[in-house]
Amino acid sequence: MITCDEFFAEFADYLEDQVSPEVRRELDLHLSQCRACHVLYDSSCKTVKIVTESGSFELPQSVSDPIIDRVMAKLRIDRS
Amino acid sequence: MGFLSEAQLSDEFGPFVAFQEAVGFIPNLLQAQTLLPRLIAAQAVLESAMRLREGSIPRAQKERILLSVAADRQDTYCVAVDSKILSSLGLPDRQIDGLLNGGPHADLSAADLASLQFCLKLSRHPPSVCSQDIEALRTCGLGDESIFEAVLVTALAVYRCTLSLGLGPKPDFVPRKLPSTRIDRPRGPASHGLLPDAHQAAQRKGPYLPTPYLSATTFAPFAIVQKTHGFIPNFFRAQTLRPDLLEAELEALGLILLPEDVLTRVQKECILLVVSAANLNSYCVAMHCNMLRGLGMPPEEGDQVSVDHHEADLSESDKALLDFAVKLGTHVPEFSREDVVKLQTLGFTEEQILECVAVTALNNFANTLQMGLGIEPDFAPPQVFQENKVHLSGAALTPMQREGLVHVVNTLQDADVELVALAQGGQLDAFEDLVRRHTQLIYRTLIGILGNPVDAQDAMQDTFLSAFKNIGAFQGRSKFSTWLVTIARNTAFQTLRGRKNVEGLDESEHDENGDFRPRQVRAWQDNPEQSHSKAEIRQLVETGILALPAKYRVVVVLRDIEHLSGDEVARQLGLSVPAVKTRLLRGRLMLREWLSPHLTTSYKGAAQ
Repeated sequence: MITCDEFFAEFADYLEDQVSPEVRRELDLHLSQCRACHVLYDSSCKTVKIVTESGSFELPQSVSDPIIDRVMAKLRIDRS
Repeated sequence: MGFLSEAQLSDEFGPFVAFQEAVGFIPNLLQAQTLLPRLIAAQAVLESAMRLREGSIPRAQKERILLSVAADRQDTYCVAVDSKILSSLGLPDRQIDGLLNGGPHADLSAADLASLQFCLKLSRHPPSVCSQDIEALRTCGLGDESIFEAVLVTALAVYRCTLSLGLGPKPDFVPRKLPSTRIDRPRGPASHGLLPDAHQAAQRKGPYLPTPYLSATTFAPFAIVQKTHGFIPNFFRAQTLRPDLLEAELEALGLILLPEDVLTRVQKECILLVVSAANLNSYCVAMHCNMLRGLGMPPEEGDQVSVDHHEADLSESDKALLDFAVKLGTHVPEFSREDVVKLQTLGFTEEQILECVAVTALNNFANTLQMGLGIEPDFAPPQVFQENKVHLSGAALTPMQREGLVHVVNTLQDADVELVALAQGGQLDAFEDLVRRHTQLIYRTLIGILGNPVDAQDAMQDTFLSAFKNIGAFQGRSKFSTWLVTIARNTAFQTLRGRKNVEGLDESEHDENGDFRPRQVRAWQDNPEQSHSKAEIRQLVETGILALPAKYRVVVVLRDIEHLSGDEVARQLGLSVPAVKTRLLRGRLMLREWLSPHLTTSYKGAAQ
C-alpha cells in the first residue's frame, strides 16, 4: 500500500477527480485503511463544497451601482 | 564533415566506447554532435536502453523498425547504418532489400509484420493511431510490453532521422538505393485493423497501455520531474510500464533540455511548442504553453507562438530559429545546409544550431510517443489552437494560412466582442454594459489580491477608468474579461506598493506541497451546513479566505467562489496550471484548518 506522503502527493488531483484509474485504485485502497488520510479527504471535500456554495464576496448591487455610476459620470464629464 | 564543425573527443568518451562495443563502430551521427558532448550522451542513453539492450521484442525486430522508418522517410544516412547493423545480426540481404523496397515479407511472423505496419503508421501520421491499432496488435499476439517497446523504438527512429536531416552527417557506409517515393505499407493479416482515421483516434480515450502506479518516493526520477515541472505530467505517468526505459528517457531529456549554457529554456520551450503545433500535437502544445507561462511568458503570448510565431513578441533572430525548427521538425524535403548557413548569418553559433536540432529531434520523439501511447492531456490546449485544428486540418498549414486566425477565433469565442467594438468607437453605453457584465469577476479578483473590501471597491473604480482609457489598445488577442482582469491586477499591485508588506503573486514565488501539512485530524460532521445558517457559513468562509496569504487567496476566490476552471484561473493570473493547482490545494487546506474547529464532530457536541 502507498504511504501517507505518496497519498498527499496525489491529493490535489484526487480532490479534482483528475487521476488515472491506476492511481485512483491505489488512493482508494489507502483511504480505506488510513483513518487520518480519510479524515483529511472527507473534510477537504466538505471544505470545497462549503466554499463553492457559499456565494462569498458577492458585491451587492446597492454597493456596485454607485461605483459604476461614479465611473460613468466621470467618463461623460471628461468627454464633454 | 556534416553541416557543422566537429570537435575532437577522446576514444575513451563513454558513449563512444559503448557504441564501439555494441555495434563495432562510432556512427558519424554521433561525431556530428561533438561540439556538445552531452547531446551525444543523451542519444547514447536512449539508444542503449531502447535499441541495443534486449527487451520484450527481439533485437532484430527493433532494427527492422528502425530501418523501415528510416527508409520510409528517405533517410539514406540512417538506412545505411541500420542495414549494416541488421546485416551484422545475421539478417540476409534479401530480407533487408525486402524491408527497403516494400517487397514480400514471407520471412516475418504475423506479430512482427503487424508491429512493423503499426510503427510505419505511427511514424507517418501519428494522429491517426488509435486504441483499435493496439487491440489489433494484441490480437496478433503482441504483449503490452512489446507494444510499448515498439512505440519507443519508432519514436527513437524519428529522433534519429530528425538529427540526421538537421546535421547532414557523412555516410558511415555506402548508401543503399531507395525507391524514389515512399514505399507502400506492407500488407498482411493485420492490416485491416490499422486503417488511418484521425477522427476515430480523437474519440478514443487513452492511455492505450497499462500504467502501474509509481510515486516520487519509490521512483527517484519522478522526484526530479516534480521539481522541474511542478507536477508529474501524464506524459511520464503513461510510461510506467517500463521504469527502466522511462528512467533512460528522463536522463536524456535532462541532458538536452535543462542546461542553459547554449540556448535558453525559453528558446527551447518555444522550439518544442512550434514544432508540436506544426505536428498537430495538442497534448504537447498545452504542455509547452504551460511551461512557457512558468518561465514568465504571458499566456496570450504563448498562444500566439503556438498559432503563428511570426506575429509573436519575439526577436527576428528567434523567429528565424523557430522557422528552422519547424522546417526540420516537419521533415520538409527541401531542408538543407542552406538553412543552417542562414542561421549562422543571423549570428547563431554552431553550438546553438546543434542544440536546436537536438531539441527538435527530442520534440519529434515526444510527439510520436504521445500519439503512440494515447497519453491523455494534463490540461486543455489553447482554444485558438483547437479551433485551428478544426477549421484548417493538416500538418502542412503555412504561417500565411494561419495569419489572422487568432483574431478570428477569439471573435468566435468571446461574447463581449460586439460591445468592445462599440466601446472602442466611443460609445459609453456599450462600455457601461461591459462593466456591469464583469463587476463580480473584477471585484472578486481585487478582493482576492488585496484582501480588503474597501480597497477592492476603490481599486474597482480605478480599474474601470483605466480600462476605458486604454480600450483602444485592446487587440482581441485574449478574451476581453482576461484583459480587464490584467488591468485589475495591475491596479491592485499599485495599491499593494503603497503598503509595507507586499505579497507577491509571481510564478517565481516558491510553492512546495511538502512544507504545508494539515494538522487537524478530527472528523467533521456529516452535514456541517445543517448546524449553521447560510449567513454564518458565508461569514466563516469570508473571514477564512481574507486571512489567507494573497497568492492562495486570489486562486481560491477565482476557482471556488467565481467558479472559473483551473486553466481560466491560470490565464487570468498569468500563471501556469501546475502553479495554480499547487496554490489552490494549499489555500483549500488552510481554509480547512480554519473551518475545522467550527465543523468537527466534537464542536457539534459542544454546541448541543
